[in-house]
Amino acid sequence: MSRVSSPGASLFSWFLLAPGMLFLAAFLVVPAILLVVLSLHDVDGMLMVLPGYSIAQYLAVFTSSVYAHALGTTLWVAALTATLCVLLAYPAAWLLVNTRSRSWRTVLYVILISPLLTSVVIRTFAWIVLLAQNGLINDVLRHLGLIDAPLALLWNMKAVVVAYVQVMLPFAVLPLATSLGEIPAALPRASQSLGADARHTFLHVVLPLSIPGMMTGAIIVFALAAGSYVTPLLIGGRLQPLLPIAIYQQALQIANLPLAAALSLSLLAVTATIAGLMTYVQKRWERRVYGH
Amino acid sequence: MATDRDLVPASERLWRWFCMVAGGLVYLFLLLPVLVIFLSAFSPTAYPQFPPKMLSLRWFQAFFESRDWLKALQVSAWLLLIVTPLTALLGTTAAYALARLTFRGRAVVQALLLSPLIIPQVVLGIALLYVLTGVGLAGSLTGLAIGHILVALPYAVRTVSVSLASIDRKLETASMSLGASPAYTFTHVTLPLIKPGIVAGAVFAAVTSFGEVSVSLFLTAPGTVTMPVRIFTYIDQTFDPVVNAVSAIFIVLAVVALVLIERTIGLTKAM
Repeated sequence: MSRVSSPGASLFSWFLLAPGMLFLAAFLVVPAILLVVLSLHDVDGMLMVLPGYSIAQYLAVFTSSVYAHALGTTLWVAALTATLCVLLAYPAAWLLVNTRSRSWRTVLYVILISPLLTSVVIRTFAWIVLLAQNGLINDVLRHLGLIDAPLALLWNMKAVVVAYVQVMLPFAVLPLATSLGEIPAALPRASQSLGADARHTFLHVVLPLSIPGMMTGAIIVFALAAGSYVTPLLIGGRLQPLLPIAIYQQALQIANLPLAAALSLSLLAVTATIAGLMTYVQKRWERRVYGH
Repeated sequence: MATDRDLVPASERLWRWFCMVAGGLVYLFLLLPVLVIFLSAFSPTAYPQFPPKMLSLRWFQAFFESRDWLKALQVSAWLLLIVTPLTALLGTTAAYALARLTFRGRAVVQALLLSPLIIPQVVLGIALLYVLTGVGLAGSLTGLAIGHILVALPYAVRTVSVSLASIDRKLETASMSLGASPAYTFTHVTLPLIKPGIVAGAVFAAVTSFGEVSVSLFLTAPGTVTMPVRIFTYIDQTFDPVVNAVSAIFIVLAVVALVLIERTIGLTKAM
């Protein structure tokens, strides 16, 4: 590829890159480094940070059954959310790619993108209105005579997963739709003209080619679900054993910043490792099906 | 050419119908909260009833009569006005430089620019809280603005990159070969061409700032409570039906943003 090679143009581009880089250095890189340093300090009885270095916080994270349980639940909920999102994303992405009418496709895009433009706290609130004791679902069920007493739909992990799936579904649909849209129409047609039925064509042609898009969506949803605290806190309640909720409470309510730092870095390390492994598998798969 | 109907066996048509219905249901599921919010915003009771018996604007009235809610609206509006132009500026310059430079570590820089999208927001929040407390900015409007720019920057970088990828590089080369300086070429040739991407990025930045809650909760103080933070604390601690009306306002803003994005880079390219 040819690029503008004049030294003046290149210098100018570097000059333009500087403000963004300085901003990220000051407010992303430096805070991340300081967070690591902070996590390597112990606190005294008054939660004051002690000067000497110590791995006490990480010992507290990894030897406590509370945090081990919270980490396990966090990963399990994130994996469940990612799986459900990918499963639901498939028909949604299929419809998006196969809708021929331009205006209908715009409607589908509006439905997909509008959640990304609506605050997560608003979308979570809608689920509370739906699931509360005197909420809409209980109201409808009571009107239909299906229940006598309101069901306890809120304050449990199932409600958290349902809300999570709804909040994060667009992140799974959009990359999958890109992946499906890139499959040449000739491929499934060739498969069928060679005698394969729809099921066989889907399983052996379309599905393998769409796995990279599915994986991209799954990785994003997994990372987002593992790191959010607003939705689980409001829908599941403050007692749910989830690591992001524990971090929020340690940082803002108990004010044990070194422990909160160690918890968040552990969470970051674990989710980054899993996301990295998934990316590796995705790249291997891409090379296998696309041959590059 | 034969029509689909002739070529497609009955079993496959059934399968297509199944996919369509399943897909339609998923879109309904996505739309559900929006419908619920409108139902509750105009409901006369604190909890909406189904089917709605009558419409009421009492929660909107309560919102505009509440000094605290209006104060939160003011804080959010100030933040939006600070964050939007700064994010558009940082995002545009960074996206342009990345598109025009080749250097070792370019992929790292790109990943860094997009990383706030994927780093758990609880981690961003606590890291910023610690650093901004150290320099005395925690709880200030400046601190919140920094947090919002950090979260919104990836969107601006992405939309501007989309615009940059679609413009003809020869125009820039021609401008420079005719003697225009790189800076003049950037402001008079490139910027007008990538304006749609910049506007779309600014819209994303404005909406992100106005709705941001995860990082804001770490950086807020009693004097700088934004709308989403106020909503969060209200849902968390009590139940204020005014939230119904506030939510509807958020949805209307999202619709405005959608129209703006569609008119600039187009919804299909937005994500």
